[in-house]
Amino acid sequence: MILQLAWRLDNLSLFILGAITLFGVLLFLYSLSFMSGKPHRRQFYLYYFLTLIFAAGAVAANNLLLILFFWEAMLLTLFGLIFIGGERSYRTALKALIIAGVADLCLMFGIILTARLAGTLTFSAIHLSAAGAGGIAFLFLLLGALGKSGCMPFHSWIPDAANDAPLPFMALYPGALEKLIGIYFLARITLETFKLEQASWLSFLLMSVGGVTIILAVMMALIQKDYKKLLSYHAISQVGYMVLGIGTLVPAGIVGGLFHMINNALYKSCLFLTGGAVEKQTGTSDLNQISGLAKTMPITFACFLIAAFSISGFPGTNGFFSKELIYEAALERGWIFYLLAAAGSFFTAASFLKLGHAAYFGQSDKKAKEASWAMLLPMIILAVICLVFGLYNVLPIRDVIQPIVKAEHDLSGWPANPYLTLVTVLVLLGAVLNHWLGVKRAGKALGAADHIHHAPVLKVLYEKAEKKYFDPYEWGMKAAEGLAKFLHWTDRMVDAVFEVVLVRITAGLSYWTKEAHNGNFALYMIWSLIGAAIVMIALLRF
Amino acid sequence: MRIFSLIFVVFFFLVSLALLPSVMTGGSVTFFIFQADALAVFMALVSSLVGSIIVLYSFDYISHYSHQNEYYLMVMLFLGSMMGLIYSRHLIALYVFWELTAIASWRLIGFYRKDWDVMRADKAFLITLFGAAMMLLGFLGIYQMTGSWELTGMIGKVLPAPLVALILFGILSKSATLPFHTWLPDAGVAPSPVTALLHAAVLVKIGVYVFARLFLTTFIIGHFWHVAVPALAAISALVAGGAALIETDIKRIIAYSTVSQIAFIFLGLASGNMIGAVGGLLFILMHGLSKAGLFLCAGIIEQNTHEKDITKMGGLIKTMPVTAVSFLFCAFSVMGLPPFGGFFSKYMVIAGAVNAGERYIALAFILGAVLTILYLLRLFNLIFLGENRGAHGREGSKLMIFCVALLAFLSLAGGLLVNYPLEFLNTAVRFIR
Repeated sequence: MILQLAWRLDNLSLFILGAITLFGVLLFLYSLSFMSGKPHRRQFYLYYFLTLIFAAGAVAANNLLLILFFWEAMLLTLFGLIFIGGERSYRTALKALIIAGVADLCLMFGIILTARLAGTLTFSAIHLSAAGAGGIAFLFLLLGALGKSGCMPFHSWIPDAANDAPLPFMALYPGALEKLIGIYFLARITLETFKLEQASWLSFLLMSVGGVTIILAVMMALIQKDYKKLLSYHAISQVGYMVLGIGTLVPAGIVGGLFHMINNALYKSCLFLTGGAVEKQTGTSDLNQISGLAKTMPITFACFLIAAFSISGFPGTNGFFSKELIYEAALERGWIFYLLAAAGSFFTAASFLKLGHAAYFGQSDKKAKEASWAMLLPMIILAVICLVFGLYNVLPIRDVIQPIVKAEHDLSGWPANPYLTLVTVLVLLGAVLNHWLGVKRAGKALGAADHIHHAPVLKVLYEKAEKKYFDPYEWGMKAAEGLAKFLHWTDRMVDAVFEVVLVRITAGLSYWTKEAHNGNFALYMIWSLIGAAIVMIALLRF
Repeated sequence: MRIFSLIFVVFFFLVSLALLPSVMTGGSVTFFIFQADALAVFMALVSSLVGSIIVLYSFDYISHYSHQNEYYLMVMLFLGSMMGLIYSRHLIALYVFWELTAIASWRLIGFYRKDWDVMRADKAFLITLFGAAMMLLGFLGIYQMTGSWELTGMIGKVLPAPLVALILFGILSKSATLPFHTWLPDAGVAPSPVTALLHAAVLVKIGVYVFARLFLTTFIIGHFWHVAVPALAAISALVAGGAALIETDIKRIIAYSTVSQIAFIFLGLASGNMIGAVGGLLFILMHGLSKAGLFLCAGIIEQNTHEKDITKMGGLIKTMPVTAVSFLFCAFSVMGLPPFGGFFSKYMVIAGAVNAGERYIALAFILGAVLTILYLLRLFNLIFLGENRGAHGREGSKLMIFCVALLAFLSLAGGLLVNYPLEFLNTAVRFIR
């Protein structure tokens, strides 16, 4: 049989499965409170648990076809979860379905090619070289993995979903699951199935995609004026670090990439949950309308603070350690990648300074209360895990991740290169300075990034980006439309052969034969005689 | 009359079911000019299953119109000659049944009797007739070569290229593949159950079935055809997919979708390896179920809103929830999303192409599959979602929505229980040659 229920439970997949379960439970607890009183609750839970099942299956499966099955099945729940978000969210649901569907078709082609090259569908038994046809197979698998993890160019549905989908979905799917399974698959294929070489062009491609994703998405995050939308751009940007880290193929980078994956899932989910709490309590996530929540929602604020420090890579937090590992590896492979990653950190810090300042400080005009315990508890747990992973990083790095990649050197503890740490501190100080200047110029916290937003060239680019000028989905749709028009025209031309050309030919031929049938009996007799004469001559001659 | 026609179709289903045990082991049952083997029984089961659901649906649909007796008579002739064709082992019998389906479809497409409808019916008839005449020439060539009309005696013979080309004319015109496909969208003027029959159960499946019968189980054809047929099918899939993205008539869009999906079946059957052949046959089943579902849903929409233009619909999910969900399920299956049945068949035909070494053709089909996702989502979006743009309608009658829900359920069940048809087809294909 082709479709075998074969499972693969080793350190890596067990680690990811544990993470999926953790998020599944915590976010379910959160949803119980968040979704109460919202429409389509039952459908939400149905899709929610199906998503968890499919995600767990995608990680645990050891048959490529089975993996494809679970990945594509997630398309349906993805569609459903966004669809129930509101009256107009079907557009985003369709967009997500199309983007993820195209990525999964790439994956399907990659899997078929891989299976053909390897002669088996058993994932753990495949070891191929990434040269020639193997490179093509890898490329298509890569496209699938990037599509699932929401990396550029498959990202553009996430910011739209931030507005349209129910919030627990954002925390679960773009926040955590998507990265866990996408990066899981990426790690599997780059490290085990294909054993990529550092000199390979594919490694360079991975690093470039990672670097570009980091910087472009974070630039978009910087100018957002909505709590959830800002976070959603960070969800895209952070995946760039993981792709970059794994793409370096340096042990530090791989460990860093995997560590960053789990860190990101922790603090990004936590951040989305704080966003949900704020939205639930104040009725809006528009940063223009919320301020001073630190006093009224202190626990939410504390969780936000921990997660924001982590994502900005503040020394001593878990995000700091994973980013330092990635920096180290990126610097080893090329200064340009390091530069992109460090610049990404600068803008990340700047945008969280802006978000925190605008939402939690200043005048509190709304009468918001602290969120319910069912919503607070998951946030607190996630924040505490963030703290633990930061203060005692031996646990995740040495005890969990290093056995997976079989690293030779112990990478846990404080970063090896003090200069990189110094640069990071300087970058963060720069972000603070930038924020201070920005607030001073604009006069309000929300305008902290206005001087970058309205800088000469950037202003035009930002305007176009906001109008979805650079959305690969829109390009794809335009291309599909153009192609469809051409193909439709071809179809009409083929039809014209039957409708016009053949009809004309028949009419032309029958024009003469019609003349011959005028009802005159004598004429018919002549035709008959001529015909008989021809037959006679023919018979006589042969 | 209608009960009789239902019994008639269900009878075929039961007979085929009864034949199942004796062909499961690769044997065959012969009677007069007929012969049942695993391939024939599979095809007959698919056709009669889908056919009986469609006939059941027509009870409520066709009751709005006159000439009902003629309708049921023609449907019976249609399905009956299909069964005859499937079980034929004699080339002349095959040809006669082939033409009988053409006559029945000609009356059924022009069922509403307007000039325009009759012209469309003529077009369908003439194009398929041209193909059939070419095919008959091919059959004559076979007779000249072998001195016999019996298919069973010809297994393993190599067929020369001109004869393959002549027979392909017939197959491609019947199965609505480029360049002979344009009659199929035009045949959308027929009543919806008829279009469902044409697309899902009978007419276009005849071509692919005869392809499998002649070129898969009987003759050996040159390697050229294993590349040429998929290449032609790839172009057909792309052109039809593009046209489906532009058209605005609901039935024309689904018809173009059939043209593009039939190309996938040809890809699988012509790839020349096991996985492709099984995939192609499985595709016949999955496509039959979901495409019938789509057309019957379209019939409910068309009959209750009196509108065919999808740009004037919108928001119908509120008034027709069951139809909408059934439509979505069937569409997911056609798109090839798991756990629906279409996923497995689509995967297998593309895997077959890659295994045959045709990477570029496989890529073209991936693009075709992307177009499929796009046009079906566009269709669903414009009909059921958003704001209403004029056409209102209530939900269809209980019997009608039962039929579409059943087909949607079968599309899903076909995926969840895919092992059963797959196992049967594995046996069927293993005993070929």
